[in-house]
Amino acid sequence: MPEGSASLQLAVGDRVVYPNQGVCRVSAIDVKEVAGQKLTFVTMRREEDGAVVMVPEGKVLAIGVRKVASAEDVEAIFAFLRSDSDKADLDWKQRARTNLDRMTQGGIMGLAEVVKGLQVLSELRPLPTKERELYDNARHLLVTEVAAALGTAEVNAEDAIDIVLFPPGRERPKRTAAEFQREEGDLDLDSDLLGLDSDLDLPSDEEPSEPSEEEEASEEGESEEAASSEEGAPKKRGRPPKAKTEATEGAEPAAPKKRGRPPKPKPEATAEGAEPPAPKKRGRPPKPKPPEVEGAAPAAPKKRGRPPKVKPPEGES
Amino acid sequence: MIRVVTLDPFDDKQLAKFNRTLYTAFGVGSEHSGSVEVPAGMSEPLDAEKLVDELKGIRSYKDDKVLLLTTRKLKDRELPSGVAPTAGFARQGKDRAILTIAPHKDLESAFKAVSRHALHQLGHLWELHHCLDPRCSMYPPWTPSFAQGEAIFCTFCREKSEQKIRLAKS
Repeated sequence: MPEGSASLQLAVGDRVVYPNQGVCRVSAIDVKEVAGQKLTFVTMRREEDGAVVMVPEGKVLAIGVRKVASAEDVEAIFAFLRSDSDKADLDWKQRARTNLDRMTQGGIMGLAEVVKGLQVLSELRPLPTKERELYDNARHLLVTEVAAALGTAEVNAEDAIDIVLFPPGRERPKRTAAEFQREEGDLDLDSDLLGLDSDLDLPSDEEPSEPSEEEEASEEGESEEAASSEEGAPKKRGRPPKAKTEATEGAEPAAPKKRGRPPKPKPEATAEGAEPPAPKKRGRPPKPKPPEVEGAAPAAPKKRGRPPKVKPPEGES
Repeated sequence: MIRVVTLDPFDDKQLAKFNRTLYTAFGVGSEHSGSVEVPAGMSEPLDAEKLVDELKGIRSYKDDKVLLLTTRKLKDRELPSGVAPTAGFARQGKDRAILTIAPHKDLESAFKAVSRHALHQLGHLWELHHCLDPRCSMYPPWTPSFAQGEAIFCTFCREKSEQKIRLAKS
């Protein structure tokens, strides 16, 4: 619950801040009958565009409606924005949750925290669309509230904020991911999600090629000794290497495993002297030839086209 | 419609080129709509807020945005958090903005920087806030890299300004 909201006493004409909506002015407080119950409603009109919202008096605190910040609060905001201590949370899920809470229940300081946090994050990399929208919303709400608190124009309030965030004559610093790493309780989620410090076992061009099995076998004894001596050394991150099969003495080293589909099994060797089977021809098999009759004349080749008309026998007519 | 109103004499060819740049950036018509005199009693450096509020004799229609262009210096604004260097001024969502080409002598010598600044002030008139992208014209104008950039918007600011313009037209 925002600070000071426990003692929120509203009167017509008061300026209040409706979370996520902006600065409103209380235009009426009246009793209405809803479903047989008499309820007191607070009617608020948003100053920006005149949109009207009616809230039951009992719900005002739960919603998070609060009075407009004072000039002292705005000074505290400037001091916070000027500080260089804020670090952005690299875990996007955690960041989204925190920012949502700040926007709804954080008061003016919550808005400033969202703006500062996203601005610092943008110094590391461009903001994604949703967060860019969130930044714009938070900035808009902050500017309108600062303008209402100081009684100045919005443009002056925005420039007052940005003079602190972007000091004149100075460029914004470029940040690195290392600056955002948490010092304690680091779960290594952030960098993995970002792909900035990936521990995946993907082959990279920079990594040296794996030594052959022979070299591994010969180095095995040495490596075991080295491993025993390196117990004090920090453990390597990532997936542990696969257990090596112990090479037996005198046995041939296993051939390196080939990738891809295994080759088809070859047909067993035929008996010696037997002819190898003819290679299989592709395509449609030829038509079977009709059996030839001995002594018969070979059939004339079949002519194409229409058969000739039968001529009538001469001398009959 | 963007109406460029001059407070001092400018070259017509340069103004035509300037209007073409604004048309390209916003997709709405832009024209030179004449000149007006600075009210008597105002001396250099000009008070931008006062000038925008008090300047009379400018004809415009609803949804028109008026850009006042001058060669005279504008007074830096005293704000609660410090002094804001003021090369232009525009009230958020209103219809008038002012822009100076000072310290440059004419529009030609600082065309790129002035165009970028004009986009910035007109962006404020279409309710754009300052942007995080140094390449965008809505980046805070007092930063050293601002004048070197092109007169363009980032995707977010361009889409937002287009949306505002569309809503205004309807």
